[in-house]
Order: sequence, then structure tokens, then C-alpha cells
Amino acid sequence: MSQLLPYLGVALLLLVVSALWARQIFLTRKSRIEVVVPRKHQAAGRSSASRQALGERIFGLHDWDFVSRNMPSEIQKMFLRERTVLAISWLRRTRTRISLVMRAHVASVGQIADLHLATELKLALSYLVFLILCDLLIAWIWLRGPIRTRRTVGQTLRTVTWLRGAFEQLMARVDSANCIALKTNFDHRGVGS
Amino acid sequence: MEEHPYRRQSQSLGLLRFPDTVHTNEGREKMPILFPPCVLISRLRPPAASVFEQILWWMEIATEAFILLRSINARLYGKYLTFFIYLTAVLLIDLLRFSVLTLHPSVYAPFYWYTQFLHAGVGYAVILEIYKHTLNNSPGVARIARTFVWGVLGVVILKVTLNAVIRPVWSTATTSTELERDMRAVQALLLAGIIALLAYYVVPTGRNLRGIIFGYSAYIYSSVVSLAFGSLPGYGLRPGWRLVQPTVYLAALVVWCCTLWSYSPDPATETESKIDRDYKLIAEQTRRALSRARSFLKMGGEL
Repeated sequence: MSQLLPYLGVALLLLVVSALWARQIFLTRKSRIEVVVPRKHQAAGRSSASRQALGERIFGLHDWDFVSRNMPSEIQKMFLRERTVLAISWLRRTRTRISLVMRAHVASVGQIADLHLATELKLALSYLVFLILCDLLIAWIWLRGPIRTRRTVGQTLRTVTWLRGAFEQLMARVDSANCIALKTNFDHRGVGS
Repeated sequence: MEEHPYRRQSQSLGLLRFPDTVHTNEGREKMPILFPPCVLISRLRPPAASVFEQILWWMEIATEAFILLRSINARLYGKYLTFFIYLTAVLLIDLLRFSVLTLHPSVYAPFYWYTQFLHAGVGYAVILEIYKHTLNNSPGVARIARTFVWGVLGVVILKVTLNAVIRPVWSTATTSTELERDMRAVQALLLAGIIALLAYYVVPTGRNLRGIIFGYSAYIYSSVVSLAFGSLPGYGLRPGWRLVQPTVYLAALVVWCCTLWSYSPDPATETESKIDRDYKLIAEQTRRALSRARSFLKMGGEL
């Protein structure tokens, strides 16, 4: 039976990869990726600002200071629970946006003839590690709450902002009519820690 | 009398379609006459288990012929020439097998295996077609794919060489089945590689190519699994297990019939003229973004 394992492994690999590709085709057909180039980003400034305010509000100390001073412990616990849920949801969205950066990269470099296999493997590996770490951060917030980890989250926001800048530079090099651009309404600033 | 190892191996794989029925007296008494004399092979009286196999076989031949006729009618034959050459070869092999079984049933078993190798070998043409069409507009991805293909071929050659050194005695009985299983496994690996690249780099593909890829992947998947399990004692002779491969192949033919009904060109990829192709810059930016994000996350974990 053990001699069959490599063959079954190969068959399973083919099945999984085919299923993932089919899923991708289905999702792409269902919701086409919105084409937004960085130079048109000003139009989305308002919603971006509101998201930024939302991030600051979730991880800020202002509300917590008020609750911790004036409210009983039950309310404090409830507040922390709700903020944890909000923070995790917010981080998941951030993770999705970083995924979009990677997707933009692979969409952009797909047509480049001088593609380096080693570089691509390194990037893919880094991206995978980043996703794992991001999930760990979500777990960390879930365990310790958003108030104690707000410094970390603040750095997350700053990194996402930096990523957005890099992405804009990348997209600025690609013609708006020809590129597959992804909507990236990242927040401009991080949360003060 | 000792049973011939070739026959034993073939039976254990469950891949003999008609020879068993020809040589089995019990089968002759049980079987219903399914087809008229002009269709049913002379003197062939299949057992009940192989009636369904006969239907499958005829349906496969009919569907293959239909797809080929349709491809000529819809002017698709030239667009996917290699794939349709494969399908033509498979149809010819089926008809040849049928003729041999009708005229010389005693030589059907060896003939089956030789043509089965041909079948598996021609299957690489489909993968070639997939590579050619999908990566036509993505030179970078095509380069990675070429590296992958050569890597896989290198590993296969190494494995065959090692096997020849370790087990120098060449036995047709064991190697015939193993060879087909290995050939299908390599095809599965190559297909998995190309599909992974298509998914990762979001390479746009048309309906025709998707149909070819999904149909052939399903057939290869079933082939690898059934050949692997079929070599186990007790599995190969089960009637249900023996039907998996032809049933999935018929399903693949139906998929091809639907998706290759008319020509569907691959979606136009982004034109190259206006894109600044500074790959190093793009890769460096993405790498820096990821490494910075990762380092900060590590730092965050320590807080």
C-alpha cells in the first residue's frame, strides 16, 4: 500500500490545484476586479478618510479611557469584547488588501519575459510567511485584546500605508488602460500608538 | 499449469475488456446479447458485468467521432491541432482494438498494452497544446513553466535510470503496467504544474482551453488513481473499480464536446506597448513591502 502513496499524492495534488483554479475562475467571473488606477485615487478619498477614522477609533485610547474611568467592570468587559471583534475584522480586511498587492504584482509581472524564478519563489515564500504572521497577530489580539496590542496594530497600519505607497509607485509605471489594477483604498496614516 | 505473469498482471489491473469474456465459458452462458450481429463482435458473449463496458466503449467511439466531425465543421481542428491529432489517434486506436478483437481475439491482450502505451504517449501532446496556448502571451510564466517541465523530466529520467540499475531484470509483465502508471503520473504532475501557474499568475484562458484542461485533468486523475489501486490485489478484478477509468473518460469527452462546440479565443491579455517592464523594480518593491510587513509583525509579536 505504501508504494501507492506517491501516485495518490500526485493525483490529490492535481485534484486540489484544479479545484482551486476552478474556484478562481468562478469567483473572477462572479465579481470582476475593479479597475482603479492610483491617479484616480482622489475620488475615493472620502471613504478612505472614514476608514482611517474607523481604524483610529477602534484602536485608540480615547474610548477606553472613558469606559475604564466611568463604567463598571461588566461594561468594560463588554467594551473589550466588542473592540476585539472589530479589531480582528479590521485586520482581516488589511490582510486582504496586502493580498491585493501580491495579486497586482503577479498580474503585472506575468507578461514580463525576464522573469526570475528564484525571485518569484522568494516573493511567494515571503508572502506566505506574511500571511501566517498576520494570522498570528489576529490570534494575538484575540487573546490579549485590542488595547494592549494597539502599538502593534499601529505599526500594521503604517506598514500597510507604506505598502500602498510602493504599490502606487508600481502601478504608476503601468499604463492605466492596459493594466489589471486592483482597488486599493488603503488608509493613508497609521494609528498613533 | 502456471499462469502467465503477463496475463496475471493484466487481470490484476482489471484492464482487460473483452479477452476475459472471450475466454470465459461462464460468461458466455450468462450474457445478454446487447448489440445486433453487425455490431456485436462475432462469438463474443460478454458476462453481465461487461455489458456496461461495451456501452461505454461504443459511446466513447461515437463521442470521439462526433467531436472530431464537429471540430472540422466549426473550423476548430486547425486551432487546436495537437489536441485533435491526439483525439484522432485515440479514435483510431479504439477502432483498431475493436478490429483486432473481432478478427484475432487471441492477440488482443498484447495489442491492448502496446496501443495503451501509444495512448499514454500521445497524451503528452495534449499537455504540449495546453502549454503552447495558455502561456503564449506570458513569456515570463512560460519561462518558469519550461524550467518546471525540464525539472520534472530530469527527475523522471533519473528515476528510470536508478530503477534500471537497482532492478536490472527487465520483465514485460511488471514494467508494462508500471510504465503506464508512471507515464500518467508524470502527466498529472505536469498538468498540476501548469494549472498552478495559471492560477497563481491569473493567466486568462478561453472556454476551449479550460474545457481541454479540465477534461484531460479529470481523465488523468482517474487513470492515476485506478492504475495505482488496480495494482493492489483484490481491487483490480472488482467490476465497479474497472469501470472508473472509461466512465471518467466518457465524462471528459462530454466536457470537450460542450466546451469545444465553437471557437472561443483566449481573452486578450494586456498589450505590451505601454507597460514599463522594469521587472527588477517591481519585484524589489514587492519584496521590500513583504519583508517590512513581516519584520514588523515579528516585532509586534514580541510586544
